[in-house]
Amino acid sequence: MSKEAVIFKIGWNACINCGACVAICPQEAGFISAFDTIAVDTPCDIACMLCEDICPVTTITHVAAVNGNGVF
Amino acid sequence: MPPTEYDIVIIGSGPAGATTARVAAKLGLRVLMVDKRQELGAPIQCSGAVSRHALEACGVIPVAEFIHESIYGFGIYNVAGEKTTIDYRQLKPSEYGHQNGQKPLGYVVDRRRFDRHLMTLAERAGAEVWLKTEGLSYQTDGSEYCQIQLRRFNQPIQVKAKVLVGADGLQSQVGKWAGLRTHIKITELASCLQFIVDGVKTDGLLEIITGHHWAPGGYAWVFPKGHGYAEIGLGVICTMTKKNAQWHLDQFMQQSFFKERFQNARILEIQGGGVPLAAPLRTQYAEQVILVGDAARHVNPVTGGGIHTALSGGVIAGEFLAKLIKSGAPATAENLKGYQDSWLDQLGHKMWQLYEEKTQIFRTDDIDERDRLLFQTMSQYFSPYSEYKKI
Ligand SMILES: Cc1cc2nc3c(=O)[nH]c(=O)nc-3n(C[C@H](O)[C@H](O)[C@H](O)COP(=O)(O)OP(=O)(O)OC[C@H]3O[C@@H](n4cnc5c(N)ncnc54)[C@H](O)[C@@H]3O)c2cc1C
Ligand code: SF4
Ligand code: SF4
Repeated sequence: MSKEAVIFKIGWNACINCGACVAICPQEAGFISAFDTIAVDTPCDIACMLCEDICPVTTITHVAAVNGNGVF
Repeated sequence: MPPTEYDIVIIGSGPAGATTARVAAKLGLRVLMVDKRQELGAPIQCSGAVSRHALEACGVIPVAEFIHESIYGFGIYNVAGEKTTIDYRQLKPSEYGHQNGQKPLGYVVDRRRFDRHLMTLAERAGAEVWLKTEGLSYQTDGSEYCQIQLRRFNQPIQVKAKVLVGADGLQSQVGKWAGLRTHIKITELASCLQFIVDGVKTDGLLEIITGHHWAPGGYAWVFPKGHGYAEIGLGVICTMTKKNAQWHLDQFMQQSFFKERFQNARILEIQGGGVPLAAPLRTQYAEQVILVGDAARHVNPVTGGGIHTALSGGVIAGEFLAKLIKSGAPATAENLKGYQDSWLDQLGHKMWQLYEEKTQIFRTDDIDERDRLLFQTMSQYFSPYSEYKKI
């Protein structure tokens, strides 16, 4: 896949811990944050953005990851 | 110290895992069940509607500990607010009602208390249960036991089991560990949001509001929640709308034919989750692994209900594993296929039929026609004459 890798940011203030983002995510096992959302500290190279689409409160955003390390 | 050996280790103590644990332990297996949460069921990701029949058929006696409110039927609405009422207090007054000798049709349960109760039943049946314990990975090497890595209050722990049961819900990782195809399509996962509110009247009915205008790809609901509270929620399929579930729920509360009814609603709790309106997994077993409940997509694809199917799946899994392990046969993928076959016979084939029906409805491009079909299917589904009544 030629998509650019991204790093996700979650607005924790709006997140209701519903787990929908993890449920839709096609990443390999363990791509999860300590709060049961998709991972926020690891770049995602699939970048399908389904996690952002499924979030009932639209609280996931992303930035481009550079060299797999991310620009914060 | 060598790792402790169990017959089965279950990851996840929801309705599916706790029922598998209870049934297997009662039948004499050595069972360990782990859950990563500190309080089961919390944060709540469920509306909690379940039929009395489902509980009783799975050996769970309805008790006040987990019941929010008793349910006696359904109110199904079309997009314009026209209603089909299926009130069992009127349809079968000899059986259903509030009086002595009459019974409720079902309940809205508190998932925190319900899940805790189910865990207690499993423990009383002899299962060992560890909370704050996360399942991390497993390996099989062709021997009788597979190795399972856990983390309990930060401590890494290794245990061994003849069979690993993935009852870890919709976000299931166990299926991924085993290399099973667990992926859900974005067109089949409803994004849901619900409010528990004060100030909205209900009348012992589960109310379901259909219509693309209110909940594209899904439906909205108003459930009685006990103590005079109600639950208002909806699920949407994100490919069918540009807005999120939160926007649609606000819209439903402020613009729909219920806007006067909802005008004094005060929000007490906010919850959400994903509901798979999908087919069950085609393969729910692998070498020394089976999946049960949401992890195997054992969810009714028309209603989105998954408590009954998780409980029934748990009974089937527990009974199957007890029989297999006591027979001394190895838990190869080939032998574990029997679990899925048994599940298909008892439940799965009907769920596949429901999935086909649901797919037909949402494949209809014309919105009015689709709305009409969904309203009709929902109305039939909950009627006393539905062939699917027991799912
Ligand atoms: C908004 C919403 C409303 C719903 N309303 C209804 C309804 O009214 N009626 C109905 O019948 N169904 C409803 N459902 C569906 C129902 O909630 C699920 O189908 C049901 O909870 C499935 O049970 P389960 O045991 O398979 O999984 P879960 O209840 O999800 O339990 C899984 C457990 O596994 C644990 N776990 C996960 N990963 C790990 C790990 N790695 N290590 C340790 N533990 C782990 C979790 O902590 C959790 O306790 C609703 C769902 C949603 C999202
Ligand atoms: S972009 Fe896709 S693969 Fe990456 S975290 Fe989100 S859902 Fe998962
Ligand atoms: S889908 Fe959104 S609200 Fe739900 S857990 Fe993920 S980030 Fe939080």
